Amino acid sequence: MTAALEIQGVRKSFGDTLAIESLDLSIPQGATYGLIGPSGAGKTTAIRMIMSILFPDRGSISVFGQGSALDAKDRIGYLPEERGSYRKMKVGAFLTYLGCLKGRTRAQAFGRADRLLGRLGLTDVTAKKCEDLSKGMLQRVQFVAAIVNEPDLLILDEPFSGLDPVSVRLLKEVITEEHQRGATIIFSTHVMAHAEELCEQIVMIHRGRKVLDEPISGLRRQYDKRRILLEPLDSGANLLALQAVPGVENVKLNDEGCELRLIAGTDPATAIRAIATVVAPARIELARIRLEDVFIRLVSETGAADASHEALRTHLQGLTQTGAIS
Amino acid sequence: MSLSLRRIGLVAARDFKNSITSRGFLIGLLIMPVMMVLFFVLVPRILNSHTPQITGEVAVIDATGKVTPELRHALVPAEIAARRAREATTPPAKNKAVVPAAAAGPPLPALTVAAQAPDADVQVFKTWLIQSRDARPQHLAVVVVQPDAVARRAGASAFGSYDLYTSVHLDNATEAILRDSVRAALVSARLSADGLDATAIGKVQQVFQPDSVVVAAAGEHSGSRGIAQFLPLASGILIFIGVVMGGTILMTSTVEEKSSRVIEVLLAAVSPLELMYGKLLAHLGLGLTMTAVYLFMGVYLLAQFSFAGLLDPMLIVYVLVFYIFTFLVFGSLMMTIGSMVNQMADAQAFQGPMMILLVGGYVLTPIIGAAPNSSFSVTMSFLPFINTYAMMARVASSAPPPGWQVLATLLVSCVTVAAVVWFAAKVFKIGLLMHGKPPSLGTLIKWARMA
Repeated sequence: MTAALEIQGVRKSFGDTLAIESLDLSIPQGATYGLIGPSGAGKTTAIRMIMSILFPDRGSISVFGQGSALDAKDRIGYLPEERGSYRKMKVGAFLTYLGCLKGRTRAQAFGRADRLLGRLGLTDVTAKKCEDLSKGMLQRVQFVAAIVNEPDLLILDEPFSGLDPVSVRLLKEVITEEHQRGATIIFSTHVMAHAEELCEQIVMIHRGRKVLDEPISGLRRQYDKRRILLEPLDSGANLLALQAVPGVENVKLNDEGCELRLIAGTDPATAIRAIATVVAPARIELARIRLEDVFIRLVSETGAADASHEALRTHLQGLTQTGAIS
Repeated sequence: MSLSLRRIGLVAARDFKNSITSRGFLIGLLIMPVMMVLFFVLVPRILNSHTPQITGEVAVIDATGKVTPELRHALVPAEIAARRAREATTPPAKNKAVVPAAAAGPPLPALTVAAQAPDADVQVFKTWLIQSRDARPQHLAVVVVQPDAVARRAGASAFGSYDLYTSVHLDNATEAILRDSVRAALVSARLSADGLDATAIGKVQQVFQPDSVVVAAAGEHSGSRGIAQFLPLASGILIFIGVVMGGTILMTSTVEEKSSRVIEVLLAAVSPLELMYGKLLAHLGLGLTMTAVYLFMGVYLLAQFSFAGLLDPMLIVYVLVFYIFTFLVFGSLMMTIGSMVNQMADAQAFQGPMMILLVGGYVLTPIIGAAPNSSFSVTMSFLPFINTYAMMARVASSAPPPGWQVLATLLVSCVTVAAVVWFAAKVFKIGLLMHGKPPSLGTLIKWARMA
């Protein structure tokens, strides 16, 4: 099957500023990809190039086998980070207009917009002007604008920013429904929990380079061999006594018990047995790698050492043990 | 990627509908007729109905002793009106519409001549002029007729004249009437002194100017000079107003789309070029609508004064064609400005130089219309940015240019439009997503080369 998106050797600079140094990415149809990275990493530039709003200096981008997103615009839904609306336009007319621009008939566009508005708890707003809606309501309308054409590829740039928890949950449900319908979803976010929850694959961009391209399931299987989570059987147990256990570097108390960090080179199995003899555990396990940890470690370590690309690759290979980084 | 006409049409339809129903457009559309009504109908009526008659005294120190009775006669309101009628150049029958208008003007002043001794002290009468606004009778002026004003001194080639001292309360219009009356009195006194009949000489000098009749192979038509002078100016103003209105709304809407961040949502659905062409088309239509409304009103007004026959239908076609070219050039530039900035204040700074070009073209219209085939007019017809105005003024004039010059102007316009739209498209594509400080000229050129 043709990939939904194929990016090869893309580079983009703005004057002297290099936004994307080199980017290769292939996203199969029907996948859900999370695009993460710190501010200024190049995520929005990458998305704008995918949308053919900006054009790369070098390299190629194909969407559904087409040489440019311009030829597949009708199949794409896009929610930009900086989204707006025609303030004086009525919601129904605004959404119908965008649906028509993306190849739908007026009836199709209005019907789907009305249905989606209802799904997102916005009944009876079609006759209201955009400027009369609250910020949260308008954000939901803008989300509907992105999917009003029933896209095959949905690109969402920070879709949950500024939304209340109920709206976030509603949007997540609709995104999941779109995915189940068969849409390919590319989802850019700073909130790692959202990426972990919604995405099958994580792509991290940092300083214009892709530094991670890993299935979320693969990341979840990774364990941090230097962190042990302990929940004591006896809530009154003296957890600070674990500081004296051989191989334990430090102990951090938390609500459930504590988190222990081991000295480098310590065998975790030996350490767990030793810990269990000091404090009877209700639960003891090696900590799973969280996406947030990966993110922070990649960003902070590359930032501190200004590591070369090769050094970064080595580090990530060690971290993920998969060598999946391109 | 090929442009989608469907998407261009959708963008154009939305923008057109949105703009034509906006308050700004409706106010802009109505402002010209309202101003015309105010200027031509209401203002004169208001002025006339509230203009009080000027009354007062004019002291005359007449060393000749012959001018005072003539001046007394010349200042009678009926004589002033008769003098004005005699100065009209059109025959009385056709002048009907003019004479009542003149008669309906501000009331003529009632000036009383206060004859003084020939050797009266002028300094005393200068003091006589200084009085309060409410004093009655008002002392308005002192006329001192020089001794040789009626009879030349021996050996002199010219007559003497008069000195005039006025009060601060004398307005310009009344002073002009006074001067005219003194002149008439002096001429009359001089003719009488030579034993000539002033009335008979006046009649001899009066020659009414008929409207010319233009004789062409297609037939004869009136060459009404007034209309011939008015048409180039009117055609120019039609183009000017349509371009300024349509272009300004286009620029404003682009700035709004950019500042409200809806632009990126749109660019997800249409290409920058489709967006640009759609917007350009919408506002071209908007300006055309406005121009058509004004044209209709103009033709209607001409018909009311039985001048519709003087209007060549081809002139309407020329107005529309030259409007389209002018709009495509200046509209593209205005949209480019809109795409470069984030707020209207910045846009206005960029708009200045472009408005100079736009106004410059219009300002030349009457000059070109008066001498349509001068080398200056011909040169202007081929100068980009000005050529459409220049050629419009020439084709609307009484001596239209040869056909090849019109075609050459259209060719220059086509090339100008292509170059400006090319540049606009380059800047528009990049400028739309740029925020922050407006770009310099150097940056604009860089954008044009990058895109």
